Amino acid sequence: MPSEIPNNDLQKIWQKQPTEGFKMSAAELRLKAQKFEKRILWRNLREYVASAIVIAAFGSYISVFPSTLTRTGCVLIIAGTLFVVYTLHKRGAARTMPAGLEFRSCVEFHRQELQRQRDLLRGVWSWYLLPFVPGIIVFSLGRLREQAMKEPNASTHPGEMVTNFALGIVVPALLFVGVWWLNQWAASKLQRRIDDLDALEKES
Amino acid sequence: MSQDSLYEQAADAYGSALDRLAGAYELDPEARRDLLQEIHLQLWRSFASFDQRCSLRTWVYRVAHNVATGHVIRQSRVRNRLVSIENIEAMAGSDHELAASQAHALERLSKLILRLKPLDRQIIVSYLEGMDASSIGEITGLSAANIAMKVHRIKNVLKRWFDEGGLHAK
Repeated sequence: MPSEIPNNDLQKIWQKQPTEGFKMSAAELRLKAQKFEKRILWRNLREYVASAIVIAAFGSYISVFPSTLTRTGCVLIIAGTLFVVYTLHKRGAARTMPAGLEFRSCVEFHRQELQRQRDLLRGVWSWYLLPFVPGIIVFSLGRLREQAMKEPNASTHPGEMVTNFALGIVVPALLFVGVWWLNQWAASKLQRRIDDLDALEKES
Repeated sequence: MSQDSLYEQAADAYGSALDRLAGAYELDPEARRDLLQEIHLQLWRSFASFDQRCSLRTWVYRVAHNVATGHVIRQSRVRNRLVSIENIEAMAGSDHELAASQAHALERLSKLILRLKPLDRQIIVSYLEGMDASSIGEITGLSAANIAMKVHRIKNVLKRWFDEGGLHAK
């Protein structure tokens, strides 16, 4: 015959469930914390190393290419890279949630982080792609001009001109469209997470 | 008191409760252990900024629930299926598997908890740990009156789920 389990019995059942008595030693905790910090450090370092490679490459081009236009393009690309690094450092770094928050503040923190990341991805055109556009255009024009000056009859080889233009402008443009599209897709995924978060809180 | 000794004290006093809390957010044993480790790590880190404006217990539960809530939020397949205590109340009796032992009752209780949204989960876990409305209010940030209302609903849900399911208490 069915019988009731009173609520206080459920409390007893809950509290008496077998547990491991899990505890971490101070050494273990420090090791874990260091691993976590190292992971963050490497992630940030990866972005800076990629930027340093771009800066070093275009920095070296300044002495390689003779025309002022190409050199100006290099300087603009370096400036664009520095702007992107600054923006990533300023707006892209993940924030650590303050400890001991109450439920709504905790959810609000997660929501703000997701919104910040979403906005950064949605606006990728303005802070990640656009800063490179002047440099790429000026650099490509400089290269075309250098080739035209080196080979005055280059205009008789339109195929080569088209190829050079494509390599200098069209390929980066397609790459930019691809990067923009990927970021919009990632932003829409974040938006879905924000919507889920709103729904989680709404009926609670 | 140092960060290490605060952690020691918290782990000794609330270690088992944290173990149970991790179980209320994660069913898979391996993922549950990872979550428990993460809770302990974040708890230790949090003691660097513990200003004693609330009790140690309130702090421990807040940090632990926040880590576990973050865990739920990151799981897209899980977070879309969660319901509130009000909605689960309407579903009472929908799972009529018979529970013939306390182990079964615990399994059923865990299943119920894992279907709840994070805030309701915080409240039901705190209730099951034997806390009163004002203590639960301190942890969650809701008023004691609001908690009392929620706890009343939780009690009704538990009563219906366990009575209508035809439980045999041992």
